[in-house]
Amino acid sequence: MTSTLEYVRASRWYGPVIALNDVTTTVGPGVTGLLGPNGAGKSTFLKLAAGQLAPSQGEVRVLGKPAWGSPELFHRVGVCPETDAFWDGLTGLQFLMALLRLTGFDDGECRRRADHALEEVALTEARDRKIGGYSKGMRQRIKMAQSLAHDPQVLLLDEPLSGMDPVNRRRIVDLVKKLGREGRTVLVSSHILHEVEAMTRRVLLIHNGRILAEGDVREIRDLMDEHPHTVALRARDPRALARAVVGSPHVLSLTFGAEGEWVTVQTARPDEFYSSVVDAAVEAGVSEMYSPDENLESVFKYLVAR
Amino acid sequence: MTASTVAPDLPTPSPIAPRPATVGEIAPVPFWRAARAVFDLSLEGMVWSGRSVLVAVLLGLPVVLALLYRAVIVTRFHPNLSATTFYSVLIVFYYVANMVPLAALFYATALIADEVEGKTITYLLTRPIQRGAILVGKFAAYLATTVSLTLPPALLIFFLLATVRGWAGIGARVPDLFRDLGVLVLTLITYGAFFTLLGIVLRRPILPGLLFLFVWELLVHAPGYAPRLTITAYLRSLIPYQVPEEGFAALFQQVLPTALCLEAVGAMIVVFLAGAAWIFSTREYVLDQ
Repeated sequence: MTSTLEYVRASRWYGPVIALNDVTTTVGPGVTGLLGPNGAGKSTFLKLAAGQLAPSQGEVRVLGKPAWGSPELFHRVGVCPETDAFWDGLTGLQFLMALLRLTGFDDGECRRRADHALEEVALTEARDRKIGGYSKGMRQRIKMAQSLAHDPQVLLLDEPLSGMDPVNRRRIVDLVKKLGREGRTVLVSSHILHEVEAMTRRVLLIHNGRILAEGDVREIRDLMDEHPHTVALRARDPRALARAVVGSPHVLSLTFGAEGEWVTVQTARPDEFYSSVVDAAVEAGVSEMYSPDENLESVFKYLVAR
Repeated sequence: MTASTVAPDLPTPSPIAPRPATVGEIAPVPFWRAARAVFDLSLEGMVWSGRSVLVAVLLGLPVVLALLYRAVIVTRFHPNLSATTFYSVLIVFYYVANMVPLAALFYATALIADEVEGKTITYLLTRPIQRGAILVGKFAAYLATTVSLTLPPALLIFFLLATVRGWAGIGARVPDLFRDLGVLVLTLITYGAFFTLLGIVLRRPILPGLLFLFVWELLVHAPGYAPRLTITAYLRSLIPYQVPEEGFAALFQQVLPTALCLEAVGAMIVVFLAGAAWIFSTREYVLDQ
């Protein structure tokens, strides 16, 4: 595998806190999942590659160039940040056009690329609405659109599925897989094993600032099967959602959240659960879905103990 | 997607074939083109903001005072303060010494700070542009916004007060008007450069900025050589109007040589902006998660 991202004994600390500790690894074309619980160092790992942080020690190179201090790299690198931040007064189209202009394209090319990117993330109809009025899932998708609109060779995606409903989650998963098949290097971070597994089998496991393991996600999956997987869903009609999923053999338990809109499900078979919940989620108006990472944390504890 | 139609000379990416794992000779977007794109992005948000409403009110207030002077005070009270003197007080003390620096403080300290606080700086820093171009584009947007808020009221009060006794002789005063407008623009640039630097160096620059404007500049602007340690002394000296030379105010009638003022102001602008650009270019903007 030809590597496009290289970390050579890279460390990064914030004052006395070590966020990334002596990491040496490479990432090549295709989709690679960066998997770890919250606070593991995933964002620091991505920000080093995105040239937003300089390594305290060691070296981080992207396409053969130092990531820090090489703005020209961003002709070839797209970044989808984790933060839910926008210039809310801009419409989706204006947002993409502005960022494409900053990438050096002329107006006609900006418009063509913006339209294409909006189509890729299914936001064409909402392109003239202000981003301030977008739902969480739409905001995630417009962030994704800006990262790929300039047709980058490398994509750094920080928790791109966070807060998305099942339909859009599937759409973005398909898009990421397609980008990987096209030969791009896609590094996607998540604290949810199932999310990463849906996009790729190649993972980097990160914990306490160190790469614990890299390789095939199925090995992690075998460990994971011993632990129930928790999924929280926010629905317009939580009772209808509960009725639809409660009889499923994949569901171990189901509880209603205190605010009345949330349903929390525990499942031993997340793949099957996610496949079976799509129709029910649409019927019940599911607008948000996330998976707490406690169960992943327990897998990491197990790995560290080994 | 296909390749760009502009400068970077990117090859058309193949949708299937793996691409080379190293990047060829590509360059950042040309500096001025990038600065223009940042200017376009920043201008609208800067103009249509709550900050602009406040600054417009502060900068527009002298128009009301000039109207009052013209319509009521002159006709009913026959004041000792002539229209020319009143105009110079407004330009020198209200605009150059206080409100224009205050407007610069509000806008210029926020040029980068707003992007950091709003966490939108990531989008700017992950584009193929030099950081200096971001700063220049934003500074140009600041200047366009504040000039459009400052010059119209200054122009209005000039005509309101210069024509109190009629339009005769107005032509002879037009050069003074242009000089005053020029000094106002220079004030915006100089304080804007200083507060841009302050906004990049400090996390919370407003209070130190207010202390600089209304404590340091006031205390140091006393007779002797100390005024040379202020910004305001050089700018005020460029408008040598005669103001009432009585009492405490007379102490502040020090006029520095014009050449010295222009050199000092030019040097300050270069040093402040270069310092701001250097610090901005080398600083990490780690966003709180």
